[in-house]
Amino acid sequence: MNFGMVGVVALGVYLLSLIGVAEIARRAKEDHSPADHFLAGRSLGAFVLFLTIYATAYSGNSLLGYPGRAYRDGYSFVMATGFMMSIIVVFHALVPKLRPLAVRHGFVTPGDYLRLRFGGPWAKALRLAVAVLMTLALANFLLAQLKAMGDVASVVTGGIVPYEAGVVGLAFVILFYETLGGMRAVAWTDAAQGIAMLVGLSALLVWLLGESGGLEAITRAVAEKAPEKVATPSARVNANWFSSIALMGTASVLYPQAIQRVFAAESGQALRRSFAGMTFMPLATTLVVTLIGVAAIARFDIERAVDTDGVVPMLLAEWGSAGGFATAAALVVFLGALSAIMSTADSCLLSLGSLLSRDLLGAEGSDAAATRLGKRLAAGVLLATIPFALARELTLWRLIELKMELLIQCVPAFLIALHWSRLRTGPVLVGIVVGTLFSVALTFSDVTRLGGVHVGVVGCGINAAVAVVLSLFAGREEGAAAEAQPSG
Amino acid sequence: MSATVRRICLVLIGVLYVVSVPWYREGGQAPAIWLGLPDWVAVSVLCYGAVAVLNAIAWSATEVHDDVEGPDGEETPR
Repeated sequence: MNFGMVGVVALGVYLLSLIGVAEIARRAKEDHSPADHFLAGRSLGAFVLFLTIYATAYSGNSLLGYPGRAYRDGYSFVMATGFMMSIIVVFHALVPKLRPLAVRHGFVTPGDYLRLRFGGPWAKALRLAVAVLMTLALANFLLAQLKAMGDVASVVTGGIVPYEAGVVGLAFVILFYETLGGMRAVAWTDAAQGIAMLVGLSALLVWLLGESGGLEAITRAVAEKAPEKVATPSARVNANWFSSIALMGTASVLYPQAIQRVFAAESGQALRRSFAGMTFMPLATTLVVTLIGVAAIARFDIERAVDTDGVVPMLLAEWGSAGGFATAAALVVFLGALSAIMSTADSCLLSLGSLLSRDLLGAEGSDAAATRLGKRLAAGVLLATIPFALARELTLWRLIELKMELLIQCVPAFLIALHWSRLRTGPVLVGIVVGTLFSVALTFSDVTRLGGVHVGVVGCGINAAVAVVLSLFAGREEGAAAEAQPSG
Repeated sequence: MSATVRRICLVLIGVLYVVSVPWYREGGQAPAIWLGLPDWVAVSVLCYGAVAVLNAIAWSATEVHDDVEGPDGEETPR
């Protein structure tokens, strides 16, 4: 099936609406400060905050990659529902402590907390190390979204918009609305994109269940065709399940765009309500895409693992070929997937701009010049990333696999530092270096798991142990704000 | 009171996470079907459903202040 011109028109209408939202967001700006551009003037209410966190958390990988994983692994991929939910649980360790400090001191980036919390001669090196890890993870995430955008645009338009034009064109649309409207444009478009994603996925699952005779019929069909995909998991899979919960739960709360949404909320109450709602979204999204992937096992025979990411497009093609309402609904799902990808990419880009200007280059001002620098750096990163996205055959899987393993190394600097006053700057820096070297060296030696446990999780354990043990022997530290020290 | 509710919810969430992973079952066994799913998957899904409810209660009981106590001991407004 091919949407052809209908797809081109639908894509055009969707993109024009994004640009319209950006113009409204530009008019809503109160000033040209970094806080207004990167955090929407700390004005996001519970509803928009909920949808922007939702749309940002669920990327193209969640919608296209996860059904592929469920197709390959079978029912054991229900672990994804658990690890996505663990993110909202781990936020309990971050939000109540970080939010009051952020409001009082006007934090814009994660580095602003580190500046307040850690003093001494190694403070700057620590901020730089964390900024480098976060930048690498974000740039990596952005690259994956650009590639997915090109693929989906090409499929939606039946090839009328080729992959390359999709990557470049959509990247510039994101750059345009993000530069014009900042966090307001990103959050408002995220809200619309989140709704499109949710509606699209629900419609696809309802169709699939009806078409396959219900959930029990799907399970029986899979059990007959591939019994290992319904069988109880092995000890190694169970170890990987626990490890994934630890990795995703702790690393994902440290994504700069996630931390910045904690800063951007209009109130603590808005944050509480958003997280209370967000905790149900893995059931409505991750569980749904898992069931979609499992249902595809009985319908398709895909041999190459790399082709399993095409499970959702294949299902949509089958659904859309019925014509009429089914075609329109399939098109909505595709646009929902594109929305998920673009909403993650725009948040990455916005965070990268602020992270590079404030945390890496030290432009800590609150004037328009600091905002302009952030915008220019974001544009520069996007332009630098596009050529990598255009090289379709370029295999970056090791780098992509490293993303969460790098981010989790920042755990002591935030999650331990917020709760333990004796944690010192030098030990945290040494821990990060040791944990990162361990994880990177093993990943590049083709060792990504140790007994089913991610090397990043093991590296983070070593990292935290080094930071804690060395801190116990370290003396008092000068330069850190007493107020940023936890009472424990 | 709300701090106690929050603490109880978080402890129960931890227990549910441990139960959600079928480490206590022998690997490679053909499962019974329950609620349309393999029984170990149904247990996991029910655990995650309960985690969602408890986590929502925990967030509702969480106090997220927009002020921190200043050096003079007074609350500083936003």
